[in-house]
Amino acid sequence: MQCSISETNIVYVIDIVDPPRLGFQLTLKLHLDKIPRGKFILCTSFHYFFTFSFNAEAIKIITRISEIQAIILSSQLKEMLKSLNFQDDSQAMNNNNNNNNRRPIRIVYHPSEPFYVFRQREKITAVFPMNFRDNSDVVIATSFFQNTVWFGSVYFGWVGPNQKEMGKAPQCSWSPVPAYQLRGEPVQDLTTNSGFVSFDITPRHVEGKRLDKTVWNLLNFYAYVKYHIKCSRGYIQRRMRKRMDSLVKLLNNTSLKEETQVMNGRCKYIKELVKVPKGKLMIKQRCKEMSRRVKISRFRIKINGCARFRFNQRWISLPKFSSNPSNKSYTKLD
Amino acid sequence: MANPLRLYLACIKNTLEAAMCLQNFPCQEVERHNKPEVELKTSPELLLNPVLICRNEAEKCLIESSINSLRISLKVKQADELENILTKKFLRFLSMRAEAFQVLRRKPVQGYDISFLITNYHCEEMQKQKLIDFIIQFMEDIEKEISELKISVNTRGRLVATEFLKQFM
Repeated sequence: MQCSISETNIVYVIDIVDPPRLGFQLTLKLHLDKIPRGKFILCTSFHYFFTFSFNAEAIKIITRISEIQAIILSSQLKEMLKSLNFQDDSQAMNNNNNNNNRRPIRIVYHPSEPFYVFRQREKITAVFPMNFRDNSDVVIATSFFQNTVWFGSVYFGWVGPNQKEMGKAPQCSWSPVPAYQLRGEPVQDLTTNSGFVSFDITPRHVEGKRLDKTVWNLLNFYAYVKYHIKCSRGYIQRRMRKRMDSLVKLLNNTSLKEETQVMNGRCKYIKELVKVPKGKLMIKQRCKEMSRRVKISRFRIKINGCARFRFNQRWISLPKFSSNPSNKSYTKLD
Repeated sequence: MANPLRLYLACIKNTLEAAMCLQNFPCQEVERHNKPEVELKTSPELLLNPVLICRNEAEKCLIESSINSLRISLKVKQADELENILTKKFLRFLSMRAEAFQVLRRKPVQGYDISFLITNYHCEEMQKQKLIDFIIQFMEDIEKEISELKISVNTRGRLVATEFLKQFM
């Protein structure tokens, strides 16, 4: 397997090792010291002073190196779709095992996730056998496939009045059994728990720049579905957690201790105003209240600085009347 | 809310008000033990007749009462596969966190989706009327949550499918 790397800088960074390592189709040697280092750009802000290096070329080279595997694996599919565009049946796919152009080709972009591509009249069909570990994943995925099939038919124009939408998106279909073109393929690849999803690619989908997009979308269909399922599960989990918190709060409101708990200051103040003492405490407080009111009524006007004129500090003494005879001050007259 | 649901919940509420008359009762067989009699079912004289309230074939509520404990088991409506999965996930999620709910049973009774176990101690710590209101509110919230989850999952699937197909255009 060969790939051509046209960018000049990348050529100096990568060497193809021939022969490749045992068990691999391609071995590359990377010269990291030849990746161009950055220009330094100084940036200041109001509070902080920081520097960072920015090298667009290095990032571009690293991105291109990381795309090598994707490019190699997608090249076969790209060739097939290009041949569709040119309507040329003589451009045979590189397939060592098959002589017939219409036999399905097995493409493995991710390990253990193969999909099949076979050519039909004026279109190419990509069939994805869908397998999921969990039963809940199967259900979520089935809902997604139903929507994809329905919207695919809407955007394809079979359903819907809008003529402009015709032929825009590839027609999508779902089937619980594999297509008859896949007869003879390995059984383990055709064993699924979520059926088979098919996309019909027409020449319209491979015109110009759309070819790369179409290839990328087909290769990453599995990853797209799995990401959607993961996000859905995360969303379900978040909602369940939120609902649980609200139910627990509701249950905590049933507690009898809730009324005696310390509340905020305002409520505490109101409670203290409203509080009614009970039993002996009540009697004592009532007596205190009475004596306080008597004092207020006796000394209704209080002038600061005139404390000596108050009754409890009076300078006019009133005679005391006592029943004790020894205290008498008069003598009996004869 | 629809009338049939209101009637169903009203019936459950009235039954709970009658059944939730619990008192402390030490175990008759083992010294210094205090067990919820509705779980053991060893002494028939301590058990009341169980009451089964059915809204339809798919939804029902079983209320089993005893002298010191009460067990409420609920079966929730599951119309299709998606609702089935969502109900199972959600109720299992709640059951696994039963200690936060105190009155929830970690494992539902066989044939039902979720179960509560209320003992005399719960009645001493919590207000009886509010506890009954909580059970009713719980049932309403479960139904509402599962419907909302189903709609959300379908809406998400629709949006994601649209976005995927738009990439080809």
